[in-house]
Amino acid sequence: MQLSFSSLTSLLILCCICATFQSGSAQIIDSSKVYKKKVLENTEIDLLMSLYKQDGIHSPVNGGIGTENLADQTATIIVSIPLNADDVLTVDAGISAYTSASSSNINPFMVNSSAPLKSLSWSKINGIITSGASKGGGGGGVVVNPGYPVPPATPGIPTGTPWLASTGASHSENLKNLSTNYSHSSDDRNLIWGSNISISDEFTYKSFGFGGNLTKLYNDKNTEIGVKGLVFLDKWRSIYPTELKEKLLYGSGFQTSGYFSGVNILDQTGTIITSNSYNPTGFVPWTSNGRDSYSLSFFGSQILNKRFQVALFFDLVLQQGMLSTPYHRIYFSDKPRYYIGIASDIPNYTSPTNLGVYQLADAIETLPHSRFKIPMGVRMNYYLNETFVLRSYYRYYYDNWGLRAYTVNLDLPVKLSQSFTLTPSYRFYSQNQVDYFGPYETHVSTEKYFTSDYDLSKFYTQQYSLALGYADVFTQFRIGSLGLKSINLKYSHFDRSDGLNADIMTLGVKFVDGEKK
Amino acid sequence: MKKNIFLLIILMVFLSSCVAVKEYQKVYLNDPDMKLSSQENERFESTFQVYREGASGANGGKTGGGCGCN
Repeated sequence: MQLSFSSLTSLLILCCICATFQSGSAQIIDSSKVYKKKVLENTEIDLLMSLYKQDGIHSPVNGGIGTENLADQTATIIVSIPLNADDVLTVDAGISAYTSASSSNINPFMVNSSAPLKSLSWSKINGIITSGASKGGGGGGVVVNPGYPVPPATPGIPTGTPWLASTGASHSENLKNLSTNYSHSSDDRNLIWGSNISISDEFTYKSFGFGGNLTKLYNDKNTEIGVKGLVFLDKWRSIYPTELKEKLLYGSGFQTSGYFSGVNILDQTGTIITSNSYNPTGFVPWTSNGRDSYSLSFFGSQILNKRFQVALFFDLVLQQGMLSTPYHRIYFSDKPRYYIGIASDIPNYTSPTNLGVYQLADAIETLPHSRFKIPMGVRMNYYLNETFVLRSYYRYYYDNWGLRAYTVNLDLPVKLSQSFTLTPSYRFYSQNQVDYFGPYETHVSTEKYFTSDYDLSKFYTQQYSLALGYADVFTQFRIGSLGLKSINLKYSHFDRSDGLNADIMTLGVKFVDGEKK
Repeated sequence: MKKNIFLLIILMVFLSSCVAVKEYQKVYLNDPDMKLSSQENERFESTFQVYREGASGANGGKTGGGCGCN
C-alpha cells in the first residue's frame, strides 16, 4: 500500500481530532468523580533546534574514501496537551535541512565552472530516478571544501573527485517528520498505556511507524516495568551512482550512450579506452525497496533509596528488507580500474590532492536482507548532594552481522544556583566491524555481501559535552499566556578513531501554558 | 553474551529486594537531573550517534526507522 506524506499527515490530524473528541466525553464522566491530580496540568510546548557539522575521509558513496563533509540544521516543536485528568496527546513535528558532500557524489561528475552550466532537476526515465546532470555541465559549478584547493580549469572536460562535493541534485535535501503519541493513565496512576504513529519523508527515504506501550508501577511507585512495541515500514527510492544508473537505462552499449556519449573513459594508465571494457557486471539493481523494522523493548526501573535509582533496558529488534544503501559504491580488487576525468590525477586517486578524476564503480553495497539486534542497557543516577548529581549509562550491543559494541556515558550535573545547572559529560563507544565490511578496493567480486561503509567498521568514539540548563518552576518570564519553564543549551564534540569528527549544538526551550504560579 | 544476560538477571533479583521510598521522601529522586530518561534535546545527539555508529537501542528511544544514509 502506497501512502503519501500528505495522506499520512491527514491521518495523524484525524487521530488528533478523535482523541480530542474522546477527551470531551471523558471530562463529563470525570466531573462526577472525586478530584484527582492531572497527569499533565497544562499544555507544554518544547521548541528544539540543533546545528550539526561533521567531516571525515571515508565516504561510503565513494567506496570508502573521500570527503564526508555534512551540515545539518534541525527545528522541532513538541506540543503536549492534557486532554483530561488522565490522557495526554503529544504532537511532534520537525524539519531538517542538510547539505552532504558524500551524497552529492552520487553524481560526482562536473564540468569546471568556467564551462556552460545547465540547470539541475530530478526526473524519472523508465522508472529510474535520475538527475538532470550531464556531461554538458550538469554538475554545475564546484563546491570547494575549506582547506582544499580549487580544481584545475579544464573547460568542457567532465571531472570528479571523491575529495570534493559536487553540486549534484542530492547535494542538499530536507527531512520532514511528524508523530503523535497518546497516553492514558489509570485512576491510581499505576498503569499507563499509550500508542503512537509517525511518518518521515526525505528525498531518498520514507518512513511510516506505529506502536504501543504499557507501563505498570508497583511498590508505592518504587518499581516500574514496561514494554513497548514499534513497527517501521520504510521505503527507499532506488537511486544509483550515475555510471551504474546509465547501465540500467541503456543496457549493453551504455558506454557510448546517454551520459557517456562523447565522454572519454580512462584506464589505470590514463589511456582512453576504445572498447566497451568498462562493464560493471557486479551491479545488481534492486528488485524491491522496502525496509521493515520490528522492535520489542522491555524496561524496568527501581528506586534503591532516597538518592539512588536505576533502570534496565532490553530490546529485541528485527530488520528485514533492503538494509544496504543503493548509492554506496563498491570497488573490487580483482577488477580493472576505469576513470572519468584528468589522467594526471590517477596516481593520486586516494589522496586529497586528487582534484580531477573519479573512479567508476564496480557494484553497489550489498548486505543480507535480515538483521537481528539485541541491545541491553543500564542507567544509574545518584543524587550526591545539593550541588552534584551523578548520571551513568552502560550499554552492550549484539547483532547477527557480527557487530559487538559497548557504550559508557557519564554526566555530572553541577547546580550553580536554584535556577542554573552546568553539566559536563563524557561518552565512550567501541565496536568491532561487521562480517561484511572491507575498506576501499579490498572486496573481491566473488563475495556475496560487501560494504565499505566505515559506520560498520572497527572503531571507537569519544564525545565531550557541556550543557547549561536554566529552570524556573514559577514561570516568571512570560510571552502571552505561555510561561518559560526551562532552557537547555548543549555543545558536544565527537571524535571517531577513523578520523571522522563532528560538532553539535542543541537548544531546547520549554514553555507552559497557563497562569503564573 | 551469556555473561551479560546473567548479570542482568542478578541485577534484577538485587533490585527486587529494595525497600520502598514514600512519596514525601522522593524530593531528591524527583529532581529533573535524576530523570531516568534522556532530555528532549538529547534526541538530536542520539540520532547522529545511531547514524555514525553501528549500534543503537536500549536507551528508551527510537530503535528503527530512517535510513541514516548521509
